[in-house]
Amino acid sequence: MSKQDGRERLVSAANADDSETPILHVDMDSFFASVSLLDRPEDAHRPVAIGHRSGRSVVSTANYAARRYGVNAAMPMARALQLCPSLLVIEPDFAAYRHYSGIVMNIFREMTPMVEVLGIDEAFLDVSGARRLLGSPSEIGQQIRRRVREQTGLACTVGIAATKFVAKIASGKGKPDGLLVIPKAETVAFLRPLPIRALWGVGAKTAESLERIALRTVADVADAPERLLVRAVGPATALKLQLLARGQDARRVEPAVAAEKSIGHEVTFEHSIADPRAIRRELLGLSDRVAARLRAADMSAKTVAIKVRFDDFTTLSRSRTLAEPTHVARRIFEEAADLVDALEIAGRPVRLIGVRGEQLQTGTDPRAALWDPDEDWREAESAIDTLRARFGAGAIMSAALLDRAAPAPSVPPHGIVRDHIEPYDH
Amino acid sequence: MRFSVNRDVFSEAVSFAVKLLPQRTTLPILSGVLIETNDTGLTLSSFDYEVSAQTKIVAEIEESGSILVSGRLLADIASRLPNAPVQFATEDNRILVTCGSASFTLLSMPVEEYPSIPEISGQSGLVPADEFSAAVAQVAVAASRDDVTPVITGVQLEVAENHLGLVATDRYRVAVREIDWDSGEIGGGEPITALVPARTLQEVGKTFGHSGNISVAFTSKDDRELIAFSADNKTVTSLLIKGTFPPVRRLFPETTENYAVINTGELIEAVRRVSLVLEREAALRFTFTIDGLVMEAVGSEQAQASEKIDALLTGEDIVLSLKPAFLIDGLNAVRSEFVRFSFTKSENTNKPGPMLITAQSSKDQPGADSYKYLLQPNLLLR
Repeated sequence: MSKQDGRERLVSAANADDSETPILHVDMDSFFASVSLLDRPEDAHRPVAIGHRSGRSVVSTANYAARRYGVNAAMPMARALQLCPSLLVIEPDFAAYRHYSGIVMNIFREMTPMVEVLGIDEAFLDVSGARRLLGSPSEIGQQIRRRVREQTGLACTVGIAATKFVAKIASGKGKPDGLLVIPKAETVAFLRPLPIRALWGVGAKTAESLERIALRTVADVADAPERLLVRAVGPATALKLQLLARGQDARRVEPAVAAEKSIGHEVTFEHSIADPRAIRRELLGLSDRVAARLRAADMSAKTVAIKVRFDDFTTLSRSRTLAEPTHVARRIFEEAADLVDALEIAGRPVRLIGVRGEQLQTGTDPRAALWDPDEDWREAESAIDTLRARFGAGAIMSAALLDRAAPAPSVPPHGIVRDHIEPYDH
Repeated sequence: MRFSVNRDVFSEAVSFAVKLLPQRTTLPILSGVLIETNDTGLTLSSFDYEVSAQTKIVAEIEESGSILVSGRLLADIASRLPNAPVQFATEDNRILVTCGSASFTLLSMPVEEYPSIPEISGQSGLVPADEFSAAVAQVAVAASRDDVTPVITGVQLEVAENHLGLVATDRYRVAVREIDWDSGEIGGGEPITALVPARTLQEVGKTFGHSGNISVAFTSKDDRELIAFSADNKTVTSLLIKGTFPPVRRLFPETTENYAVINTGELIEAVRRVSLVLEREAALRFTFTIDGLVMEAVGSEQAQASEKIDALLTGEDIVLSLKPAFLIDGLNAVRSEFVRFSFTKSENTNKPGPMLITAQSSKDQPGADSYKYLLQPNLLLR
């Protein structure tokens, strides 16, 4: 989702050199809004936002007509309606989104098996191996755009570059309904004028540290003396940023393992914890991560499992099968907390806790039943996803987790979190 | 112990006693049938701590006593005995069964280890057996078969002074039936609810279907609550399922202005036909217009089907996607020549509102309103 309203859209020159740019980033254009408008074409030209008209709802996507009024994703609906009183607000229809996402992802997979799905509406493709069969990256990009339009009526934008990082920026610059190739030779020149926030991994905190030493553009970071950078953001980040700023990104396109059997997170504490409230808090954080990952992968878990390891390394595991698969953090947390309570560990110090969703299934629709016990939480958590997609993982969390959030939101102060499946770190 | 009994009476009694025995049990002793004789006659019982069945029959008792034998084996034997009086006699821990020219020797299991059968002491009411049996059959189809959520594997009985409500759901549909009953000693205004395992209730319905009146009693013992059904010298007890049944009655619409009336038999035939091309779990698309009802089975590449039948629509045109198996359960259960589909709207614009199935005695005459079947349509995919 992008803030741009399309007025600064870039288009590739017809003869752009795509000989060394095998990485495609395909991003659907205002996906939710476009899908929701498919069966009401008469409203397609109107400014449209997806969300709920009621209460404290936020905009989850706005179409380009709405963006021209300044309406953006994650903006409170009330504010959006102020900016654009004629805004048409459509309730999200996740079943339809998943349906179309499935069609689109299949089109990508017809091109190459090297597809890394980033979310419901975007993916990386590595088409190095498809050149002989299907043509150059630009030709493949055009084919994808055509097939997506033919099979779904939706528009997408393709960014093509030598690396994932640059391809993603390219698709952002090429929106809407475009294709932008950044030839390998032009990568550095393309990156240099961009603001530092365009760099992968630069969030509010890092940006602030960099701006404090007057580094504002990618060029500034690329040219900055290494010592200065290290002092501002630490050695690991400094190295990573400088490589990115110089157009180097070693990450490959990694297709998801055929079918993930489970998604789990666990945390090992530096100092074992015994306080039941602290244990519950950890469970809440872990459940939240598991649920967010499930939602990102469009999966639901039919079984919730927990693991507890004590100081003497005895390890207990328990699991419970649910009536209906879930991807709601609250539900996973409640089941996990129940399972841990049932262990009756009564004050025994715990060195590791894990929460895991098992028996994964795709596209389970909770609305198939007459009532949905998780309805309220589901709505709240999908709003949270929107905010996190926009402002980063630390943007919003349970109040219970606040005290352990600072200074680095992704790592609790007294432990290390280990992911079972490497997440995409953006 | 020594007794002699009529073959047919005995065979029928054994088959009743073993019917509710679990297929597999962790405690072998629970697979037994307890036979007790005393001055008043012969009693056969089975019990697995959840459900018990007990029946009393007439027999010629020569010597009182009690034995415990494998229920399934005894039932198999009893059903194949020649037409002659059946004689039982114990010798040490063996049981000798003779009937005409046939004889069997069975091992007795230790009677003293068998749990005691729950006694019924609570107040009871009376319900006409045929009506109760029909109501159970109509409602139990909607009960969940998934043990993950025990609460909805039961049928909720709602006892009021002169009527009895039966409710079941599996979260995709809800079936509700009201029948008249004589609450007898029960109540005093206090409404009682009891959650009875659907499987047990179905057996009770079948067993007692032709018994005149069934006496229903509620008992609590050691903080477990029991329900007991008795008729014709037979009694079935069951532990009630613990937990709170979901408040499904509020899902039913109060009024509906948008509805269609269809011939039930014609609809069942058509649904079965058109569903032939559907893949498992797939739904049929129903389009109601002023011209009637069109059913379409799409989505499979190999085959498609459609059929049009008469339907009298009141209100707006409507398109719905329904699972054929769930629909047919409701159509079979409504037991009337015509059926009314009432359409509702849900608060969530992306979710279709549930559809209500009720009886209709003719095209324009609503039928009895004692049975309601509420079904959640699937999401419509374009």
